[in-house]
Amino acid sequence: MSISCRGLLVVDRGRQRLAVESLEVADGETLAVLGPNGAGKSTLLRALVHLEPAATCDELLLDGRPAARPQLRTAVAAVLQRPVLQRASVLDNAAAGLRLRGVPRARARGLALPWLDALKIAHLADRPARTLSGGEAQRVAVARALAVRSEVLLLDEPFTGLDATTRADLVADLRAVLDHSRAAVLLVTHDRDEAAALAHRTALLLRGRIRQLGATADVLDAPTDLECAHLLGYTTRFPPELTGRAGLLVARPERCRLLSPGEAPARDAVVVPGTLRRVVPLGGTTRVDVDTAAGPVAVLTTAEVTAAPGDPLCVTVDARDTRGVAAPGDLPVE
Amino acid sequence: MLLSGLLEAARLLLTGDQDTWSTIALTLRVSLTATVVALLLGVPVGTALALGRFPGRRVLLAAANTGMGLPPVVVGLFVTVLLWRSGPLGEFGLLYTPTAMVVAQMLIATPVVAALAAAALQQVDPDFLLQMRALGATRVRALRALLAEARLPLLAVALAGFGAVVSEVGAAQMVGGNIQGETRVLTTAAVLATSRGQFALAIAFGLVLLAIAFAVNLLVTLAQQREARSSVP
Repeated sequence: MSISCRGLLVVDRGRQRLAVESLEVADGETLAVLGPNGAGKSTLLRALVHLEPAATCDELLLDGRPAARPQLRTAVAAVLQRPVLQRASVLDNAAAGLRLRGVPRARARGLALPWLDALKIAHLADRPARTLSGGEAQRVAVARALAVRSEVLLLDEPFTGLDATTRADLVADLRAVLDHSRAAVLLVTHDRDEAAALAHRTALLLRGRIRQLGATADVLDAPTDLECAHLLGYTTRFPPELTGRAGLLVARPERCRLLSPGEAPARDAVVVPGTLRRVVPLGGTTRVDVDTAAGPVAVLTTAEVTAAPGDPLCVTVDARDTRGVAAPGDLPVE
Repeated sequence: MLLSGLLEAARLLLTGDQDTWSTIALTLRVSLTATVVALLLGVPVGTALALGRFPGRRVLLAAANTGMGLPPVVVGLFVTVLLWRSGPLGEFGLLYTPTAMVVAQMLIATPVVAALAAAALQQVDPDFLLQMRALGATRVRALRALLAEARLPLLAVALAGFGAVVSEVGAAQMVGGNIQGETRVLTTAAVLATSRGQFALAIAFGLVLLAIAFAVNLLVTLAQQREARSSVP
């Protein structure tokens, strides 16, 4: 089943928090809504299930037909940011969505069990939900929503607060589950890697508005303006006065590197002179901040950095790793 | 003195003393009925106070909290005035009946129940209702799930309500009148026995009262603890 909305507006105490002209998630598709904290992602998700009191919507359609509240309630299941579990066993929690839809307890438990299995927590079925770790609890919350087999699944940052390994595991397992599902899935996240791993299409939501929308790979690799670039990890900026080229260029700091003394830059490469400000070891990589004539430039490198603060050096990045973005009217504060 | 009180209590209970047993039965009937009615009124009010978004909510919550300390004598006085033969509700002839005692005790227990129920429900995750509804629950089903989630603290609320009414003497005395075989409950019986110098009898009533309170609490606490510990409720 597809879900779509048109003319979605959320105005809270005179302030417009969200304005989405139109958004559609097709049958079997996963759409990621990627945005920073406070962009209105959770508001959007709640508005789609009529749980946002301040929301108004011109049209809310299921399979192209206007959907009333009861229809929407049965078609949609949502996983909130924090796993809110009941004081009961893991299996009873996984069955709770079905129970809330009127399925008798024994049957609901039977239907929920395979989903615990799919999310690799079947061995916890009899454990009290309160004793679970954050990652396990989040898996239960996801299983609970999947178990109702709703035609539309809304996921609100379901991986927040999990450590990197747990998160990668859950993303992989969820991907496997969603591949076998016909549900339309809307995933709200601030992490572009989650969008890349799970979503067919991605929308960038910034300050309550969708700024870019398209196939995930295209959107993640082609920021149109500085704010989107920032969100997508193109955080290193090369203004025209540094590069001598037309327009503002951005690049991922991990694609930038320091030019070794005597090394000739690649043809077409952007080369910017500056002085080393500081070197910050980050475990696997090293962050190098370089002061240039037009402000600081950050580089993430795996190579050993031998230069000392104050040393003159050059930052370089291949032309194919840079993106031209609209000139900043409003620079986001780093 | 205490020992003779204990012996007297044992004698009263074991010999099946008619008066004692009818006093115990009335105590249980009045206090349990008042508690149940207070729960029926107080839990919805407490729910509204805990979850509602309406003007004056905090003032009402403060009022309910104040009501927890309502002196039974004041409630008794109020109900007596209402039910007095020439009073606004005098025509029903309820003064000095168990019904009047239930009404008075219900008025004592309801604010206790409402305030404590509000506190119990506020302990639950603030996103609980939202998550239940996001899973497809109707408003009513989500609310039922919330009450079920808070069942252990709500059980404690019921205990507190029962404890408040079974032990009070002022209202029971004023609106019941402590009439032998009709409105005499354990607290008023103990007061009367004490005033007559029948200390052993008074102690016996006091002990029976304690035993009742303990039995009710024991039952509920056992249920509560079993549930809290079991993995599959």
